[in-house]
Formats: sequence, C-alpha cells, structure tokens
Amino acid sequence: MTPELQIDRVETPQVKWQPAIRPLDRPPLSRLRVLALQCAILVVALLLWQYLPKVALVHDHVHFMDPFFISSPSAAASSLWALATGTKGYPLLWPYARSTIEAAVIGAIVGTILGAAVGLFLSNSPRVSQVLRPFIVAFNAIPRIAIIPIVVVLFGPTLQASVLTSITVVFFVVFFNAYEGGQSVPQHMLQNAALLNASQFQLMWHVRRPYVLAWTMAAVPNAVSFGLVSVVTAEVLTGTPGIGRLLYDSVTTVEVSETFALVAVLGAFGVTLLILANLLRSRALHWWARD
Amino acid sequence: MREAAMDPLTTTPGPARLAVAALDHVGYTYPNGTRAIDDISLRIDRGRILGICGPSGCGKTSLLNILAGLRAPTAGTIDWFASESDRRHPISMVFQKDTLLPWRNVEQNAGLYYGLNRDRRDGAAELVRELIDMVGLGDFRHAYPYQLSGGMRRRLAFIAAVAAEPRLLLLDEPFISLDEPTKIGIHQDVLRIVRHLEMTVVIVTHDLAEAASLCDRVHILRGRPTSIAVTHEVELGSERSVLDLRHEPGFLAVYGRLWEDLTREIVHSKGATER
Repeated sequence: MTPELQIDRVETPQVKWQPAIRPLDRPPLSRLRVLALQCAILVVALLLWQYLPKVALVHDHVHFMDPFFISSPSAAASSLWALATGTKGYPLLWPYARSTIEAAVIGAIVGTILGAAVGLFLSNSPRVSQVLRPFIVAFNAIPRIAIIPIVVVLFGPTLQASVLTSITVVFFVVFFNAYEGGQSVPQHMLQNAALLNASQFQLMWHVRRPYVLAWTMAAVPNAVSFGLVSVVTAEVLTGTPGIGRLLYDSVTTVEVSETFALVAVLGAFGVTLLILANLLRSRALHWWARD
Repeated sequence: MREAAMDPLTTTPGPARLAVAALDHVGYTYPNGTRAIDDISLRIDRGRILGICGPSGCGKTSLLNILAGLRAPTAGTIDWFASESDRRHPISMVFQKDTLLPWRNVEQNAGLYYGLNRDRRDGAAELVRELIDMVGLGDFRHAYPYQLSGGMRRRLAFIAAVAAEPRLLLLDEPFISLDEPTKIGIHQDVLRIVRHLEMTVVIVTHDLAEAASLCDRVHILRGRPTSIAVTHEVELGSERSVLDLRHEPGFLAVYGRLWEDLTREIVHSKGATER
C-alpha cells in the first residue's frame, strides 16, 4: 500500500481553506499621480536643503550641514543665473559649456560609430577576434577613467585632448557591447542565411548588423555618461576651458553655490543626451523592444 | 546524370525515379569522438517527400545537417544528381528554431533569398507574393515577426525556404511547437505548395502523424549505432486532404505500423544505453 492511500484513510474533520492571493500585477499609478509624487519628492528635498542647515541644532552637530559648505537651492539658483548672465563677478557660462558640450557630443558620435563598426567587424571575423581576444580582455579590464591621463599626456591640454578622451572612452564602452551583440546572433540564423547563399560580408551586413545596432543602442546611454565624465575630468586635469575647469575653480575658491549650479548644468546636459539617445533607440529598434 | 533504376541503392518499387541524392554508407563522428551516425545508405527521389523518424538522440538532425552541408560526413559518400541545365538553388532548410529576421517584415523575410541574391530577382516578387497568399499571410505582408502568431511565423519560415525554389528542401522538426489544429492547417499548405512546385523534401520529425500525413516514404532510424531500421512506403496518393486522412483506414494502418516500429526502436535504444 502506498503512503498516499494510508493518509486518505485517516478520518479527520474537514476545514475550508483558501490559497493566499498574491497579485503581482497591481495596476500602475496614473501618470498624473506619478508626476505629483515626483514633484512632491523634489519640493520636500529642496525645502530640506534650504531650511535644514539653518536649524542651529543641525548645523552645530553635523559638520557638512553648515550653509557655508552645503549652500542652498536659492543660492545655487542665483549663482546659476549669475553664471548664465556673466554678472556678479562670475565668468559667462556659455563659452565654457559650449566646448564641453562640443567635446562630449563629438566624442559620443565618433566613439559610437567607431566602436560599433569595429565590434561588428570583429564579431564577424572569428579568427581575427581569436587572435585579438587577450588584448580585448586586457583593455576591457582597464578602468575607463584611467585612460584619460594617458590621452592628456599624449595630446597635451587642448580641446582636441578632451575630444579624443571622450572618443576613446565612448569607443571602448560601445565596442564591447557591439562585439557581444554580434556574437549573440543565434547560430541557426547565420546557418539559414548561409544556406540561402549569403556571403561572409552579407552575413555581417544583413544578419549581424541589426543585432550590433541594437546592442550598441543599449550601450549608448552609458557611453554618453562616461563620455561626459571623461571630458569634464580631462578639463579638470588639464585646465582647458570647459565646465570641468569652472568646477575646479569653484572648488578651489570654495564657491559652493557655483559648484552646485555647475553640477546642475552638467546633470541637465546629461539628461538631455540620454533622452535623445533613448528616442533614437525606440525609433530605430521597434522590433528589438517587442521581439 | 544517373537513372535511378541503375542505382544500386534503389529501393523504390514501381516506376524508376530520378534521384536528387544518394547516401552511401554515410557516417559522422564529432571531433570529440562521439559517434552521431554509424552507417546510413538511402536515396532521395526527385519530387517526393522523405520522412526520417527515430528515437530522440539517434542522429536525425545530424543527418539533416550533413545533407545541408553544414557538416561534412566523416565516412561514406553522398552523390548529388541534377540535370545539366538545372540552375536552381541547391538546398534550403526550415530550422526547428526561429530563423526569421525580426527587423524584416513578412514580405522581406519571405523574399530573403532574393535580398541576398540580387541576380535572381526575375519574377521573384510575384512568386513571393503568391507564396504569402498561399499560406494565408496576405493581410500581414507588412507585419513584423513579433506581430505574428506561432503558426504564422512557422508558415513564414517555410515559405522563406521554399521561395528559393531549391532542388532539395530540408525540414528539421519544423512544426514541433504548434498545436494540433494549427499543425494540420500547415501540413495542408506544405503539401499543396510542395506538390505545386514539384519540390523534393526531406523532413525530420518525431511526430508520426506528421510523417504519415506528409511523406511518400518514411525511414525509421535505429539509435546507437545509428542506421536505418525500417523503411515504410506511404501510398496515400500525392494529393491528400490532411484533415480527412485522419479517419482513413490506410492512414491509420500506416500510423500504426510506424508507431510499432518506432516503439521497438525506442526500447532497443534504451536497452543499448543501459547495457
């Protein structure tokens, strides 16, 4: 007799029961509600930043909560306005912003195109990538930021150095993703196209390229942020005109409000680049998002 | 070109048929030493549908890959035959897994062969359109694969391979993931198109109803060592209604015989593994 049958024969009083309900698909919040909550968080954070450091108990006990160090949103806003108009002894922001933006955008575009092209080519050339693999792995292991001083040493404190830094950093971020993308094409898709007479170049262009493009696009937001960081870091290191230079100056002169204002400018610029990159991705790769 | 009747490998009763290919003691061993196929000799008759069934892991897909040229046999030879004037594309294949390119729409996927072979475009657009209509995808011409159901995707993969008008069409368990009613619908489309274009087909399947519905001849393979255990001729006519066939005694008899032989081979291969 099996154990199950034995259990069935034991007579016990029956009770009603119900499995627990665990709804995982709770309806999302409405857009308006989400927006309201986000605004509330922002307002609360700004109010805390504005008024908390003014409370004696707080700034007496927490070192950095002194308005001298942490500034305030209103002071940062007025610094931002002064930077934008070049008043109150602040330098005019725009020429500096322009060179930073130029370096970051050129770096993002050139680095992305080069990274995607090399990734595509290597993913389609197993023998070449077999030979280059150890070098690729070694380069990938180097922290991206560590490349900056090398480029700066090679090209000196010029705008070209900032652009090249950005290109180099973006290239490596994009390249590894593009290469992975090219490698991720299922074998049977390649075999199918090969059976339909596709040449090695056609396999690369017609089958691998869209995958590489998709993976490249996935890397672009990251690459853009890295590119911006590298430009600003290069400016800090070399003192070439740019937001990085302004940041450095503001830190050395303890102009905290200006530092916060510049960080806000960089943040706004970064977000704009990210939105553009995501827009491009959703337009070009509708099949990727849905497949 | 050789006459089928002159070929020592012929096993076809009735009128002699021309062969597309003849396999002579073909074997395949993986580079790591694992033997996938021991000894297979068979012929593929022109204009016929040949089924390959067998216990899982018996080397069916390896055999198909060898026919496709994706692997070279490590033993034996394959002779290929064609008339001198035959300029058709040699071989295309419908894979078990999805091979549709997700960024190309139905029309572009169906016409992939002509996208890759621009010199062969004459009349291609018309053929592709006709094939799309024949499998009922006419209203989905501009849809992308992600907008299609599983059955539609399989139909599309099938016509993409057919559109190349190959001398030999290989099907590797192409409809395995579909429900029975969808499968029957697709089987009917496959039969209609293959007969219409007088195509030669080799299909690997473990679905015996599929084998009995579509094939003119079915080889049941024996696993480990892999060889042909039994060959069944399926004489249900070249024009068949797949749905009506299911009630016919002839079909049921073929199905029964295939079932019996396959079960025996499964038991045999299990015994061989346990030994």
